Amino acid sequence: MKRLGLLAGLCVMVIASATPKKQADPQTFSVSGDLPKPVTLSVTDLDKLPQQTATVQEQDGTTTKYSGVLLRAILENAGAPTGNSLRGKALASYILASARDGYQVVFTLAELEPAFGNEQILVVDKVGNKPLFGYQGPFRILCPADKAGARSLRMLSTIQFVSLRK
Amino acid sequence: MKLLLLACALGGGWAGAAASRQAFFDWGLPSWLPRPYVPLDNPMTAQKVTLGRYLFYDTRVSLNGKESCATCHRQALAFTDGRKVSVGTTGQLHPRNAMSLVNVAYASVLTWSDPKLTRLEDQMLVPMYGAHPVELGLKLGDRFLLEHDPTYKPLFSAAFPGASDPYSMGNVVKALACFERTIISKNTPYDRYHYGGDDHAVSEAAKRGEELFFSEPCKCFQCHSGFNFSDATRSARSHDGDLPFHNTGLYNVVGPFSYPAPNRGTFEHTGLTTDMGAFKTPTLRNVAVTGPNMHDGSIATLGEVLDHYSSGGRTIATGPNAGVGSKNPNKDPRIAGFTLTAQGKSDMIAFLETLTDEDLLHDPKLSDPWLNHGK
Repeated sequence: MKRLGLLAGLCVMVIASATPKKQADPQTFSVSGDLPKPVTLSVTDLDKLPQQTATVQEQDGTTTKYSGVLLRAILENAGAPTGNSLRGKALASYILASARDGYQVVFTLAELEPAFGNEQILVVDKVGNKPLFGYQGPFRILCPADKAGARSLRMLSTIQFVSLRK
Repeated sequence: MKLLLLACALGGGWAGAAASRQAFFDWGLPSWLPRPYVPLDNPMTAQKVTLGRYLFYDTRVSLNGKESCATCHRQALAFTDGRKVSVGTTGQLHPRNAMSLVNVAYASVLTWSDPKLTRLEDQMLVPMYGAHPVELGLKLGDRFLLEHDPTYKPLFSAAFPGASDPYSMGNVVKALACFERTIISKNTPYDRYHYGGDDHAVSEAAKRGEELFFSEPCKCFQCHSGFNFSDATRSARSHDGDLPFHNTGLYNVVGPFSYPAPNRGTFEHTGLTTDMGAFKTPTLRNVAVTGPNMHDGSIATLGEVLDHYSSGGRTIATGPNAGVGSKNPNKDPRIAGFTLTAQGKSDMIAFLETLTDEDLLHDPKLSDPWLNHGK
């Protein structure tokens, strides 16, 4: 019986390792964490939000025009504290953006807020009015004011809001 | 007197028109590609490009009269020579693999390891006059001996109008540099896909390979970056970044120097131990036709290159260069290795093959003008 139990256990392990991990839908990205209104957004959903464009000069000298939605607006829609609500404990929070390939970048709400950093960081889904494709897309975080490109995360998969002081 | 003044004014007008003609150069670039950086003392002109093309392919400029720049930089091979290492006019082997001249106009540094050579006008003195090894075999003080050649007379006059000594070696160098700066890759299948929006220009395998190439685990794009797939890139609109030399863990030989002589990378120029084994990131444009690969041509195929990087360095089991490259103390930390399946490897190679610019390999404007002209 003990042996049977061991075998059963092994079977469970084999099944578990053979079962592919559930992958997030690559055509959407999720906004979740310590938020009252977590949401999953598609290109169509993003298109319904106020659009902004940014033309950036890449490090290699090429220029590219992107369009999308302010990250702040996406977080605000999901219930993150913005404007006058962004004070006290709310300032002890961060946004963890993750890509399909495992790359991660952290932002804070304050750097997006007009009263603080006022950085126009975008979630873009179009390049030159065409869908963002290939290794860049379908969603990318774009930090137009950055000199280096490392925070402009490609293949955006999830945005997680973490509040450290609740 | 009035007539003389008029003649002077007209002369000035003609000279001015000639100057403005020379000031404009049509690069013929697509909108996505920035103009290359060009040194102020050697502006591009069509006349210098034409002259430079004749010089580039002229074997009479070498010591033995058999080699030209094109001997080691063949158009069909994306301006490389297909050899593991190149051979000079005296038969001496060069210690390094011939670099591609494709997009050399965008290169922020020009040789495998010398951070000081940043201008073509300076770099090409090495193959012309270098003695260790001898390449073209010229001697300092040599004059251009073909000034009476009927082909060259009008070409030099047009390229350097009004010059007191149009046939100076300085002008030869300037013309060669202008021609080499026109060797620009801009119409690969990848370009048509990525910049042109043609979704069918590359295969699905290549698209998967592209995603791997630009992925966080593989990190290939961190050194092979931007439109030129090299961090050794500058343009008229961008500044030089960090020095683009990297130790990729190709060797780790026993002894005080972890890379075998005479190829110890940037260390040979700076003397800094941190520069041991650091070599320039070459462009990957046309990489499918520019093998053998690496600074010493020691990796034959793209598949083996991927094996080297996925292992985080090369292990050589026996011989004088035996060692575990992944343990090289000066290895760039980004060369950390990654898992690459057989499918992933095949996809990555399919992606790299989309960087071959067939137009460039067969562009008549870059071909040997002497074939139809005669010497």
